[in-house]
Amino acid sequence: MDAKIKETLLNPIFKGNPITVLVLGICSSLAVTVELKGALVMAVSVIIVTGLANLILSLLRNTIPNRVRIIVQLVVVAMLVILVDEILKAFAYPVEKQLSVYIGLIITNCIVMGRIEAFALGNKPFASLLDGLANGAGYGLILVIVAFFRELLGSGTLLGIRIIPESFYEAGYMNNGLVILPPMALILIGCIIWVQRSIQKDLQEK
Amino acid sequence: MNTNGNIYTVVYSAIIVVLVAAVLAFASSVLKPMQDANIKAETISQILAAAGIQDKDTPTTNEAILDKYSETVTEAFVVDLEGNVVKALDTKRENIELVDGLKAENTNIKNNAEVNLPVYKFNNGTTVIPVYGAGLWGPVWGYVAFKEDLKTIAGAYFDHASETPGLGAKIKDDPSFRALFQGKTADFQAEPAFAIVKGASAANEVDAITGATMTSKGLSAAIGTWFKAYAAYFAGNAAPVDEKHCCKQHEGCEEHANCEEHEGSEEHENCEHKDCCEQHKTVEE
Amino acid sequence: MEYINLFVKSIFVDNMVFAYFLGMCSYLAVSKNVKTATGLGAAVIFVLLCTLPINYLINGFLTNNPFGVDLGFLSLIIFIATIAAFTQIVEMVVEKFAPALYGQLGIYLPLIAVNCAILGGSLFMQQREFANVGEAATYALGSGLGWFLAIVCLAAIRERLQYSKVPAALKGIGITFITVGLMAMAFMTFMGISL
Repeated sequence: MDAKIKETLLNPIFKGNPITVLVLGICSSLAVTVELKGALVMAVSVIIVTGLANLILSLLRNTIPNRVRIIVQLVVVAMLVILVDEILKAFAYPVEKQLSVYIGLIITNCIVMGRIEAFALGNKPFASLLDGLANGAGYGLILVIVAFFRELLGSGTLLGIRIIPESFYEAGYMNNGLVILPPMALILIGCIIWVQRSIQKDLQEK
Repeated sequence: MNTNGNIYTVVYSAIIVVLVAAVLAFASSVLKPMQDANIKAETISQILAAAGIQDKDTPTTNEAILDKYSETVTEAFVVDLEGNVVKALDTKRENIELVDGLKAENTNIKNNAEVNLPVYKFNNGTTVIPVYGAGLWGPVWGYVAFKEDLKTIAGAYFDHASETPGLGAKIKDDPSFRALFQGKTADFQAEPAFAIVKGASAANEVDAITGATMTSKGLSAAIGTWFKAYAAYFAGNAAPVDEKHCCKQHEGCEEHANCEEHEGSEEHENCEHKDCCEQHKTVEE
Repeated sequence: MEYINLFVKSIFVDNMVFAYFLGMCSYLAVSKNVKTATGLGAAVIFVLLCTLPINYLINGFLTNNPFGVDLGFLSLIIFIATIAAFTQIVEMVVEKFAPALYGQLGIYLPLIAVNCAILGGSLFMQQREFANVGEAATYALGSGLGWFLAIVCLAAIRERLQYSKVPAALKGIGITFITVGLMAMAFMTFMGISL
């Protein structure tokens, strides 16, 4: 049992990573990776939503009528997302403002729906909760990696704190404006996939 | 139990919907006051930043922002397009009134409809007005503070919903852009009264942000629209200006000859309103 | 003029895929060949064009204190419900009255309910506060066309990519990401456009 829990927890972080391997949940993720802070909040929000959505739907799994399955899932996920959004608005207003519509878009994040369909509806609540949390974390990890590079190279800061010293700028160093624009986020993810698949050869497509 | 029967499906859906709605309504009603307080404090902190009373980046609490506002504000009221004061806004600590919904006012200004234009006056002599318009991706807005003469800009603060980080977002993030506005003068006779352009030269222009043409244009249009809306109020309420501003005395060109006398004199050359004097001259000719 | 500006801007400048990364999952999954990409693109245009004005009206109603309270907090859940219900209805209607079309589009229709481009369209509509339903519809048509254009272009490129020598670790999804990034860069040149 312990080995199985470990597997449930660790697999989505690296080997079965929702973004780089399953290619799920790209939609709402890339635009929030300009700054590390936004990415962290987004990551935490997604972890909470995937975890709780998996838990709730796993508890309900035997009662849901098959015909309205998708709608019930959407309603539950939407409820969680709205709650997260409202809480952020109340307690972390500046961050909520920055993330704007992307919090709402967690609803259509394929990771959430994908994990509910693939895991929560067929497993016990506790395992489902772990699976949700782990998948959220796997997603958050990529988000944070991308945001790390984009903020560092694009603005010379991390979490708003200046990392690249002023003397570099005086010597002629410039922030790379391209990195903060949307296209570089895609190319960065492409590179992450490249690195990951170079290490794990069995993931390579023929 | 047959979970695929019609009745079961309908009842089940109904229960889920009611449950979800109840949870959301509860959360919304509990959190709403906090959310509103956050939005209000955010708006006030932007006004204070424009007025130069408190830097926006200083970490602070909502309470402290409200305290600061009620301490420093002297007057707040609403004017219409003719410059008449329509009503006063409450400035007491417990019940601070602001004009929200700049979007609606922006539409009203454009349609020449009835408007509520807020004016906030502070004890450091500044008068703060809002601006609002469309940037590249979404709305841009901000607050501009004027000195007593209601022409010279004392400070400005801008914000945006979703401009490109590192480019358009500089209107908010780059203090040096805001600093460009300080000491500039709006020319309410001109159209537009103030503009953000490439290669700014005149007193009523500031430089656009490189790489963010659309955001700069949008903000420029927003400022132009709103300054024009306040022009009537400003024209009627500008404080008298001290003696050395020779030309200002002759606004309306009644004693224009006197103004011409000054021309060429050292005093005239130093006068920051030289341009306006030149303008009066051409008007009379 | 406003409409033309909004229309062109939403196709090229505010492109759903390249500027906002919306609808990425199905964008990457269903862009292997041009024919299916065209089908999905058309379906997205259609659903966006229908749901966005509906959501615009619903949002106007909800935030206007219908029962003495601001029901704005419900807007998200109603948007997604509208979209899900609409795709369901379209699927049933198409299946009943146009079986041939259903055969072609059928599998993509359910996919659309969870396509973030559709929900994103509604959320951006809410954020941008369009003045009337005409503007909302124009925006819907423009962003739908933008998405269509993006997926057809990518599918065409991917068909050609089959014959290229790509590093083993980049094959498939990796090179696709980089391609989309390069396409997005090309689309950024539209940024200065205004009519």
